[in-house]
Amino acid sequence: MPNSLRAKCIIVGDSCSGKSAITQVFHSDGSHFPKNYAMTTGVELVTKPVHVQDTHDAVELFIYDSAGKELFSDMVQNHWANPSMVVVVYDVTNETSFNSCAKWLERVRSQKPSVTMPSVLIANKIDLDERRVVSMKEGQDFADSNGLEYFECSAKEMQNVEQPFLYLAKTFHKLYQDRIEYFMSMT
Amino acid sequence: MFDVALSAAGAQISFATSCDENFPPEHIIDGKDDTFWSSTGLFPQEFVVTFASLMNINTIKIECSNVRKLLIERSVQNEPDDFEPVEQKDMENSDGQWQSEEISVSNMTAVHLKFTVMAAYDHFVAVHRLHVDGNAVHG
Repeated sequence: MPNSLRAKCIIVGDSCSGKSAITQVFHSDGSHFPKNYAMTTGVELVTKPVHVQDTHDAVELFIYDSAGKELFSDMVQNHWANPSMVVVVYDVTNETSFNSCAKWLERVRSQKPSVTMPSVLIANKIDLDERRVVSMKEGQDFADSNGLEYFECSAKEMQNVEQPFLYLAKTFHKLYQDRIEYFMSMT
Repeated sequence: MFDVALSAAGAQISFATSCDENFPPEHIIDGKDDTFWSSTGLFPQEFVVTFASLMNINTIKIECSNVRKLLIERSVQNEPDDFEPVEQKDMENSDGQWQSEEISVSNMTAVHLKFTVMAAYDHFVAVHRLHVDGNAVHG
């Protein structure tokens, strides 16, 4: 019987960067892109099991799609206790959203400062190439210096949306294996 | 007095929030130091130990790893419900090494003990052993 791990995945970033679109495209296996904008107020929770490649195991992701508007900041952070992993999203056509990434990352990491959390940075809306203002290099550099894995995606084109989540599940599974080995070594 | 939290003494795990088949909650009460129950992500994590009958309990000792905040509750009902708090403990960080916590509870009765890991020092915790010193209540 395969084992199922569980992980709390916090999605953050400025409002309108596409957190909910990414969440919904991933959750629906690419069958649903929300064409009309609906501001997230608070936190929306979806769950999805992700199979870990080359194993019989799966990681069930509890995805906390969190409002990006500062107005909801305090309320949103009440839902972040004991995070397992973090996704920081920005919009490549919006420099402000990129500049906010450090703030968002810090807020989630401060919930559990003593633990390494699998973390990714998603550069969203890469389909809007002619309006792009944040380059791949800038994104990659920020990711590298902050311990994040960098991904580019387009939720609208359903391009590369799954990859960050597969990476997170794989990394979390690896953490579990390492911990189990450590527990076994102590006996 | 003897250890009533052993499967050999008729104790059972009646509930647990994680079950990796290689590290199941039954390992907590198998009497062995080289086996353990591991949690598989998310908090809180719980398990309930059900004794063979109503027990008079003197001490509870738990050996675990990575636990930060532990809540112990008891129930005297036949079914594991109506739990009431016994003790809440903040445990020291031992970087994954064994933590040991002994709690004296003179003359407490219980059929079930519920252990809740409210918070941890890592994504995963292990519980290696549980010792509950007690006697069956006769009457």
